[in-house]
Amino acid sequence: MFFVSPAKLRKAGVVGMNGRNVQLIARNNRRSLYPLVDNKVKTKEILAKAGISAPKLLGVVHHQGNIRELEDFLQKHQAFVIKPAKGSGGKGILVVSSHTDGEYTKASGETIGLRSLQRHSSNILSGLYSLGGANDVAMIEEMVHFSDTFDGFSFQGVPDIRIIVYKGFPVMAMTRLSTKASDGKANLHQGAVGVGLDLQTGQALRAVQFDRPVSHHPDTGVALQTFEVPLWSDFLLLASRCYEITSLGYLGVDIVLDKLKGPMVLELNARPGLAIQIANGSGLQPRVDAIDAMQSLVISNLSAHERAEHSMEHLSKV
Amino acid sequence: MKQRLQLIIIVTTLVVVGLSSAIYKHYSLGFSFLPSESIRTWTVESAITFTANDGPVEMIFNLPNTSDNIAVLDMSSIDSGYTFELMENQAKWSREQAKGAQKIFFRATVSSLKGGQDLVPSSFKPYARELKEPATTAANNIIAEVEKRLENRTNSPLIKSETIKSETITKAIYLLTALNNTESPDTNVLISEAKFFPTKANLAATVLNKAGIKARPVRGINLVRDQNNASLDTYIEIVDNNKLVLLNPTTAQPESRETFLSWQIDDEPLLDLIGGSGGKVAISILGGRMAAERAAVLHGHQSGSVLIDFSIYSLPIKDQNTFKLLLLIPIGALVVVVLRNLIGIPTSGTFMPILIALVFLQTKLIAGLVLFITVVGVGLVLRSYLSHLNLLLVPRISAVLVFVIIIYVAISVGSHKLGIAGGMQVTFFPMIIISWTIERMSVLWEEEGPRDVFKQGGGSLFAASLIYFAMSNSYLKHLTFSFPELLLVVLAIIIMIGSYSGYRLTELRRFEPLARGE
Repeated sequence: MFFVSPAKLRKAGVVGMNGRNVQLIARNNRRSLYPLVDNKVKTKEILAKAGISAPKLLGVVHHQGNIRELEDFLQKHQAFVIKPAKGSGGKGILVVSSHTDGEYTKASGETIGLRSLQRHSSNILSGLYSLGGANDVAMIEEMVHFSDTFDGFSFQGVPDIRIIVYKGFPVMAMTRLSTKASDGKANLHQGAVGVGLDLQTGQALRAVQFDRPVSHHPDTGVALQTFEVPLWSDFLLLASRCYEITSLGYLGVDIVLDKLKGPMVLELNARPGLAIQIANGSGLQPRVDAIDAMQSLVISNLSAHERAEHSMEHLSKV
Repeated sequence: MKQRLQLIIIVTTLVVVGLSSAIYKHYSLGFSFLPSESIRTWTVESAITFTANDGPVEMIFNLPNTSDNIAVLDMSSIDSGYTFELMENQAKWSREQAKGAQKIFFRATVSSLKGGQDLVPSSFKPYARELKEPATTAANNIIAEVEKRLENRTNSPLIKSETIKSETITKAIYLLTALNNTESPDTNVLISEAKFFPTKANLAATVLNKAGIKARPVRGINLVRDQNNASLDTYIEIVDNNKLVLLNPTTAQPESRETFLSWQIDDEPLLDLIGGSGGKVAISILGGRMAAERAAVLHGHQSGSVLIDFSIYSLPIKDQNTFKLLLLIPIGALVVVVLRNLIGIPTSGTFMPILIALVFLQTKLIAGLVLFITVVGVGLVLRSYLSHLNLLLVPRISAVLVFVIIIYVAISVGSHKLGIAGGMQVTFFPMIIISWTIERMSVLWEEEGPRDVFKQGGGSLFAASLIYFAMSNSYLKHLTFSFPELLLVVLAIIIMIGSYSGYRLTELRRFEPLARGE
């Protein structure tokens, strides 16, 4: 059947776009809190203050005058990432893995000169990559040394883990694997593979591409059922700790796995999408309801650790 | 829950206030919920030319007559330096000093009146002049012959169409037929007598009166089609059972009075010129339609109601037209809200489809779609080149704006050279909106790929087409214009949809695999 009746969707606990906007976002996320997550410099600051593991902020290029200081500044850092603070959709991110004598080697292997690097920063400042074209600042942060655990699962790049946190409780998780069809992008509706993750174990539940189940990655041929996130409880703890520092009741936390430092928070999102339901093969509503059924007093007394444990134990089967 | 209650109260209040005032207006003030029909109108323009003799000039022009079927609503003059004066049945232009060729335009708007009874006006006077011998005898002979034929007719079977006509009309037809029969010596005698009459029709009217039929000649225009050089034709009006019947003297057949604008009755001159020579009148007719209410107001049937003073109808016509469009925009917004939040169709820019729909109203749908796709398509190709240059935002959009203007010029000039009408209409598209659309779609193309561009572009055009249909719907047009208070109801619906947290139609498809898993 092409369409399904709304009653069936409700029974499956699926949250729709209107439901997300009205019930999850409007009721739980105060507008004044958005800048905390929309501006990545601010996010970094609150993450660092709370001691939550994240790629370290090395410096910020605030205005054009700073660009001249870039060369000296970068001498101290071998591998780094330059990106816009208010960028969206991964635009304007430049990853430099090493450099010598003004020759900067990008993650792709290509080398660029200092001039290009400076122009890139200048473009970021003038808002070329930012939402609405507003003026922006360029952040320089340390490069993540990705763990090779997920090698072969993605056509290009390294997958991150997206965890939805509702009122401080991790409620659903997935990872997005880019494919040839998605042109290396981790966007599900463009053909990336979405893998739903079991809240209890961090193991793959099921995988979908274009909303239809798949068993193997279409390009690398890896069996997707074997996808498993190590240190899973650390991931969940990291995600639930982000609730305290942002106060956002409906929050998306993107986490990457560093070879040495373990899971690190890469980005926060105040309006996480709903495709995660398709990747998991189940709706968000029952889990949201389970949290709402708990006494708010009880919730406020729980530590991030206890909330993460509660999610692992009780929510994965809801 | 408190919020929900508040919402219910607001929505109910809006609906009650909006609907009740609309209902009150309908029942107490007589505003119709249905669009009033438009009536046929014609703009009759007379171009009067003459040569002035270097001195004072006075020109008197006979005016078309309001009859039972046709109303003369509005008369105006376009001239230079003349004093224009409307008198009963005549218009007068005068000027102290004029020399050389003069041209004056006189414009009248006339409309057909519903349910014309063909009543005989009180001013009706039969046209009868004395006939001299031998014309008197010839006329008597013809009348006697016709009367004899009429008597015989009752005994013989006749053509159906003739039987339904009254005695008087039949007699008039017979008489006119006989007057057209140039083989009869009596008719020829009468025709030679015609030089003493202004027209043959005057003579015919005299003969008809002699035979006991009240008749008069009349000159006027049959408003059947648009004409650039309409001629005043001569007809004969006769009285039959207190009704006026129009007869064509050449065919001797009755004609419809519904589209007949009578201009000259009896011997009335069309033009009376003092201080000039060579007066000529060229009449052109242009058909149109007008809302019945407006025609009624112009015709003086509207009883200057105080209640109407509080509606948009009290504004000048020009401003009313502005509001006609403004009041439709909330309907467009409602369509956008329904499409996005209830159905889930993506559009590029929230209110861009409304602006595009406003353009479609001027260009018509198909032409508008073709022009839009051409402009945006060419714009996207040109914009893709700008991407390589890594320009800053404001200069980039400005560059796109210049592209858009160049495309407008190219389409306008190109279509003009190719002889395709309608290319000029491209200028109706708001340039800034088009530039932003191109910019947004171009960014979308780079970030998400062509699939999303076609999805959003298609969604936008689909929304714009729907809004176009809603805005050009005569019923909705009438409702929003005559009952602006219904906007409160639209507002209530928009607020209600704003708090709707259920599924969108497209999500029933998107999440379909989830429901199947159960």
